[in-house]
Amino acid sequence: MKVTVDGRTIEVPTGTSAIDAVFAAGLDVPYFCSQPYLSPIGACRMCLVEAGSPRKGPDGTLILDEKTGQPKIFWFPKPQASCTLMASEGMVIVSQSASVKKAQAGMMEFTLINHPLDCPTCDKGGACELQDRAYEYGYGDSRFEFDRRHADKHYNLSENVVLDQERCIHCKRCVRYFEEVPGEEVLDFIERGSYTFIDSAEEGLPSNFSGNITDICPVGALLDNVSRFRGRNWEYDHTATVCTACSVGCSITVDARNGQLERIQGRENYQVNQTWLCDGGRFGHTWLRHERITTPMIREGGTRAGAWVPATWDEAIRLIRGKLGEISSKNIGLYSHADITLEEGLALERFAAQLGTDSVDHAPRYSSASTLVPPTLLEVSQADFVLVLGADVHEEAPVLALRLEEMLKGGLLPARYEHGTAIADLRMPERVVRQRHKLVVFSSKSNLLHGKAGLAAEISGASALHDLLAGSAAFADIFKSLEAAQKPIVILGAEVACLGRAVLQEAETLVQKYNAKLLVLPAASNSSGLSHLQLVPRGKGSSLQAMQVGAALVSRLEQVPADFAGFLMVHDTHLTEAATRADVFLPAVSSYEKRGTFINLEGRALTLRGAAIDAGESVDLMGVIGALGDALNLKPEIRGVRSAQREFQKRLNIDLSSLPDEGQIINWSGTSSAATFSAATSSVHSSVTTMWKPNMLRGKNVVPQQARELFVGGDD
Amino acid sequence: MLYFTDKQTQLADIFSRYPHTEQGRRSALMPLLREVQNALGHVPEENIAEIAALIGSTATEVKSVMSFYSTYHTTPTGKWHLQVCATLSCAIAGSDELWDYLVDELGIGAGEVTPDGLFSIQKVECLGSCGTAPMIQVSDVGFSECITRRKMRTQLEQLRAGANYLPDTVVPVFIQDGQQLNALEQKIGGKYSELEPLKF
Repeated sequence: MKVTVDGRTIEVPTGTSAIDAVFAAGLDVPYFCSQPYLSPIGACRMCLVEAGSPRKGPDGTLILDEKTGQPKIFWFPKPQASCTLMASEGMVIVSQSASVKKAQAGMMEFTLINHPLDCPTCDKGGACELQDRAYEYGYGDSRFEFDRRHADKHYNLSENVVLDQERCIHCKRCVRYFEEVPGEEVLDFIERGSYTFIDSAEEGLPSNFSGNITDICPVGALLDNVSRFRGRNWEYDHTATVCTACSVGCSITVDARNGQLERIQGRENYQVNQTWLCDGGRFGHTWLRHERITTPMIREGGTRAGAWVPATWDEAIRLIRGKLGEISSKNIGLYSHADITLEEGLALERFAAQLGTDSVDHAPRYSSASTLVPPTLLEVSQADFVLVLGADVHEEAPVLALRLEEMLKGGLLPARYEHGTAIADLRMPERVVRQRHKLVVFSSKSNLLHGKAGLAAEISGASALHDLLAGSAAFADIFKSLEAAQKPIVILGAEVACLGRAVLQEAETLVQKYNAKLLVLPAASNSSGLSHLQLVPRGKGSSLQAMQVGAALVSRLEQVPADFAGFLMVHDTHLTEAATRADVFLPAVSSYEKRGTFINLEGRALTLRGAAIDAGESVDLMGVIGALGDALNLKPEIRGVRSAQREFQKRLNIDLSSLPDEGQIINWSGTSSAATFSAATSSVHSSVTTMWKPNMLRGKNVVPQQARELFVGGDD
Repeated sequence: MLYFTDKQTQLADIFSRYPHTEQGRRSALMPLLREVQNALGHVPEENIAEIAALIGSTATEVKSVMSFYSTYHTTPTGKWHLQVCATLSCAIAGSDELWDYLVDELGIGAGEVTPDGLFSIQKVECLGSCGTAPMIQVSDVGFSECITRRKMRTQLEQLRAGANYLPDTVVPVFIQDGQQLNALEQKIGGKYSELEPLKF
């Protein structure tokens, strides 16, 4: 379809909106209400353009201009909002004329009538769409000489989101967001006309995804209360990285100021999180700041009863050398949290092999992992039947719940152009009817997904799976749906996955029977990647629960067995329960400060980049392994991200150092790493720690009690 | 106190007017609000939550709809709810003075009810009777038009004395069994059950 924008004729696909045609032509129009991934509604009227199209006469041919002999353009009588105007064949759009500029400047003047001039004290200042657009498209002056509207300036919508009612320009992005994305109508316009404000009648925005409205607000009306007044936008060091709070791997921007993590915002990744984050991932970062320890520490007097004293790395290494000298290297245990990067995992695997120890583990971890290729998140949103067994998706992989909501809406994704995701995709309507029959949820405790499913019951996921496999007559409707579905998906949660190989086998049989795809929600953020490395213990005594070793390195795990009496080295950011029993404390960097690669639940490799956070003497796991090697006079095979990535280049034939921004699905089949002692075949289950960091989720709505109980209690 | 607990037939009747789908249920919002308000004079918080649960939505949505229309009240109203038009024509003809008079005379402000429970007052936007400004609407019964101080005082006295309100113009509002009536229960137009398809 050919469209002419300000004299430039471009080719755009059918269904393109006029605003996307203008951007596709390399030109710009201002807009506030449109947002990729939300329905266009034409509320702000900023994107006015002049448009016209040729028309066909009664004889079916284009009406020609008598003077030029070209098709005659029939212009709309007034400027049109380009976000709700569909481009059509031969349409002519004028976006840069004087009259368009005047119309836009006029709308800007209206928008600014009631907008307070408090940019100097507004957190959005410097990154504000209204500020930018007013500068680019406004008159710079107002003719309005009457009283402005005054309203509440510090209105707490919830603990995490604060609303300034005066600044709101009624673009309706936040209201549409709640209805369309998480499907929870907890925010709406109250009153009408110039009195309109947004408010919630529900206490404290009961949604796991409320923080996203602070990202999409085009003005400073909705602000992230956690980072409020913590810095100006131009003072932050922005780092584009990936959230490792759960296994979804949402793209985030980490903003640090003066070496301190202050704010996390969503970043676009069409394949994974679109632009959305869960509240835990967005607001939960404050755990890092409080009482963090960034220097090595040793015990006063050298006994475990002694008080902690700060030490240098050299002193710590000297102490370790002294203690480990008495112990056989086979008798050293290496245990890590399962949120380490793939590179750290490889370093751990190789170092354990060098030591010759059987005692290496990562936790939390299910005793068995599925070897089937999981569906991608886009496949989840486009599935035609999803069966969720024993999962609390909102807790275990929150953003996956948004893809399920998208699936209920029919899996319609916005078009993509060279200039990015469609600003206004007119195929996306408001208030889509949810096709609830496409979702079935069985888990022993009722969760948020139960309310969204066509069929849901509080029965254990494992027993449901068993009955499904036995062909129970009670599930006749589900069998019918599974058979009819072209792209069915089965999602297994912690409740089922922690039961081990036999149950997983049942699930694999079920999905193979119906040609479905199986998505097992990983126990921790990088479980999917680490399951392909040899990072599991090779005997009962060497597991994390038993820990029958003479010395152990424990990296960011909160607990060690009560009867462990050996030499304990704890690598962590905080003085955890395990650290209180340690002989030496080694400071750790958080995932926000790491470089490396992270594999999410769909098997997608995503790049972590280190934010500008002051971590003192802290090192990652590779650094600790280097120090251990130093103490033992061993040279670790993998000493840094680069040598690890060279090894992965050999194993996977993929260059992890230059992954595309959207990440890349990794094909593990045929790698030698799927060897005997990987998580796919281990029989021991590690569940000592939780997926979430302590205090990661501040809001009462988002405390992952259920997930926590499952991970802590699901021992075998 | 839940309003619809013992009114299941009435509830079923209201829902039967809309499609039996998730979206269809939501359409019953306005009649449900009207039902509660006709009975109680306003819609209390707990009934907002009750209606939200009935239509499968949230209290936020219900409040949003309620606050859009000035005819729904979240605070109690008197037996006679005086709605003063404050839009342009009436404003020019003295609706501000009329409002001040009502505030002084009744001793109440917006959102309050007189101690005897008879009156409440509210400013509303144009009621569509600009030619007879200033005017007020009294409850859902009708309009009092071309109001002067004396006319207003006389009417208040009559209402206080227990007389029935006599409107200058009757508001056509109610539909019962498909027949629209005005507030004095006079028929307006035909009944939909009596309609016949056009013959060609």
